[in-house]
Amino acid sequence: MWLTAFKATWRQTFQLTTRYLFNFVSAIITMVLVFLFMFYGVKGLGAGALDLGETLEGLFTGYIVWMIVLIGYQDLAYDAANQAQTGTLEQLYLSPLGYKWLALFTQSLNTVLNLALVCLTTAIMVLTTGQKLHLKVLSILPVFLGVYIQASGLGLALAGLALIFKRIQSFFQVVTFGVIGLFMIPWSRYPWAKYLPFTMGQHLLREVMMKGMKITRVHGTHLAVFGVVTVACFVAGLALFSLAEKKAKSSGLLGQY
Amino acid sequence: MPDPRQGENNCYLQVQDLKKTFMDRKRKVEAIKGISFSVAQGEMVGFLGPNGAGKTTTIKSILGLVRPDSGRITVDGIDCAKNPGEAAKRMSAVLEGARNTYWRLTVWENMQFFAGIHGVSASKERAYFEYLLEVLGLQDKRNAEVRNLSSGYKQKTAVACALVKKTPLVFLDEPTLGLDVEASYELRAALKDLQSQEKRTIVVSSHDMKVIQDVCNRAIIISGGRIVADENIQELLSLFRTRNYRITVSRNGNMRYAESLPEEIYKLFPQADIRETHETIEIVVDFTNPFEIYELIETLRTSGVSIESISQEQVDLEKAFLEIVRREKGICG
Repeated sequence: MWLTAFKATWRQTFQLTTRYLFNFVSAIITMVLVFLFMFYGVKGLGAGALDLGETLEGLFTGYIVWMIVLIGYQDLAYDAANQAQTGTLEQLYLSPLGYKWLALFTQSLNTVLNLALVCLTTAIMVLTTGQKLHLKVLSILPVFLGVYIQASGLGLALAGLALIFKRIQSFFQVVTFGVIGLFMIPWSRYPWAKYLPFTMGQHLLREVMMKGMKITRVHGTHLAVFGVVTVACFVAGLALFSLAEKKAKSSGLLGQY
Repeated sequence: MPDPRQGENNCYLQVQDLKKTFMDRKRKVEAIKGISFSVAQGEMVGFLGPNGAGKTTTIKSILGLVRPDSGRITVDGIDCAKNPGEAAKRMSAVLEGARNTYWRLTVWENMQFFAGIHGVSASKERAYFEYLLEVLGLQDKRNAEVRNLSSGYKQKTAVACALVKKTPLVFLDEPTLGLDVEASYELRAALKDLQSQEKRTIVVSSHDMKVIQDVCNRAIIISGGRIVADENIQELLSLFRTRNYRITVSRNGNMRYAESLPEEIYKLFPQADIRETHETIEIVVDFTNPFEIYELIETLRTSGVSIESISQEQVDLEKAFLEIVRREKGICG
């Protein structure tokens, strides 16, 4: 049952991605263009005082993490909202595994597709800006995955809200820009900021990609904080989704769109 | 692993005292007020009711899409609240008003996906997939994206996606809604064919009485959140069969006797409706007992007119349904 369902969701996600190929390609183009505007904008200002823009390196890693977060949470959150609106959500709930597992199966394929998208976009960013990066795959991949899992937790929580409120895409936009705000909080003044989602990921990525540090050489406490925040984000997201699911079923909201 | 089935009786689906209240703004709306019924294995049951009667809420409660306030639902002896995953393995549905399928995928891809998430492998069940395509007339459309199909084919695809899961219990909520006469007829024929071949337990909810009368053996009528009738369809129709007769007689040029005939009939049957033309007299009368018709025929015989035709008004499920719902509203209101 589990394997058949897993294979079915992977096949369907892949089929839908190829049907909406323009969407996939335009995502890459948009990501690169937005980055180039920001990169040359910050460069033109001589790199401001923000933590994000303290150096162009900060902008680089901040942007990569932001990309991972964005696509990581958006896939789950928008998927729930879209399925609720198009009327296929209830059919997924009829599966003996329930929607939650099917969404996580889909997210696992999206992880592969999206990390490929991030790598491709980063490569284009490097080529167009001439920025040097250290590409230690074994050190970069755990950070990418950790941030993606944190984003999936956020995605689950927002997907839960989508089950209840349906049209909350404008709220998703607020969250998108709210994430940028997280990267801007300076640790020197607000040490608690390192316990917030995504911020330690950005720090680690900077250490690995910009300074060429191996993940095993990174400060142990930082790694531990990153691990705990990753697990906490995912578990909290799952719990919020389950609560929202319960509320939606109790109020008969699953089929309303 | 212990068998979750409790083996209470041979009913495949059992619903006991199901209740559900929704909040509409700050107002409580009782959607279901204690519904109980059971469906035997292999039975094809029609679920009827006016808009807002509670049909869809009942079906969604059974399917686990709506959480009921109280009551107990068992499928194949499995308690749906305690073992939702096990119960879900035994049920599939086409839901009313929803797309039910992915419009960007082809008919075959949709069948593959929905079967897959129910643990049914397309490669292992290929022959059954082909059989369903054939029965539902979808062979030529298998590689067409659903968005490019007509409403009839879209609905047939949704039915195929529900049936392909091979679950013993299937719910079809308004399966013919929005279909033209031909598409509706084809779908009904396919459902009857599938039912005779596979003996699955099927619950069909529909506004279209013809669909229910055509494909089901039994009808459960729900109104105002309560079951108001639960009968075999033929028995239900016999309950509402009237003794309303339409008798046409020819005057035979015998105007003398025929002139006094209406008066004589009114004396015997004050409820009669009589329409006269130069050539004929038409009498419509609802007899209070079955022997009164002999009285009327004797009156006609002695008056010297000849009987041209006698017909009895036929009752269909739609009339029976309206009568039941009106009576119920009259009692409650």
